[in-house]
Amino acid sequence: MSEPSEKSLERMRVYTQKYWEKTGTSPHPEKTVTDAVVTGLALHIDELGRPLCPCNFYPDKKAELERSREWVCACDEMKRYKYCHCLLFVTPDGLPITEYLPEDHEGRQIYGLVRDPTPGQGREARHKVGAE
Amino acid sequence: MAGTDLLVKVTDDTFAEEIEQHEGLALIDLWATWCGPCQMIAPIVAQIAEDYQGRVKVAKLDVDHNQKTPMQFGVQSIPTLLLFKDGSLVDKVVGAVPKQHVVEKIEQHLG
Repeated sequence: MSEPSEKSLERMRVYTQKYWEKTGTSPHPEKTVTDAVVTGLALHIDELGRPLCPCNFYPDKKAELERSREWVCACDEMKRYKYCHCLLFVTPDGLPITEYLPEDHEGRQIYGLVRDPTPGQGREARHKVGAE
Repeated sequence: MAGTDLLVKVTDDTFAEEIEQHEGLALIDLWATWCGPCQMIAPIVAQIAEDYQGRVKVAKLDVDHNQKTPMQFGVQSIPTLLLFKDGSLVDKVVGAVPKQHVVEKIEQHLG
């Protein structure tokens, strides 16, 4: 099993800490969940140059990055809906915020309605919802 | 036998033999090492393997090392659990869902 460089790990640790504060979200109560995702993001920085979400399947990771920055952390879903299906940016209870998702989104089907405890923060790309 | 010992490690090369040619129910967990929700559902999948020993074949496939199978079934988010009956896909569960959610899907197709 490959390990990320300490430089990329530290970069992602700093990034996630700042993004929790910026968006009013929390780390998952199970530290192993957060550690796994941060490690996966750091590995993708080393391999691909960008922190591609490790909770998706990509037939070709390089082609995915050429296609779009959609799944580069923080992903489009996080910036628009404050929803992190990777469980990196969640409520204090460890649930992903689903309040802003379309009702037919799989996140609503999996987790039900999860309210945003800090509605004044985050969703920096909310203006793009429905705009494309 | 512990649930983790009952899990069948499946690859693209063994998928047809292990899952598509299996008679009865088979549940396969498509996962990746650095996926947080995959870690959350792993013990649930292992527990299901133990609870349904002899009735449901429970398997795991690492999508970082096996790309043909997730492509074949249009998988995007992981974890994704695929449920097969006599080799045909009958249900799909995406995300770190509670155990009861997976059990309900299995019970629907047992019998």
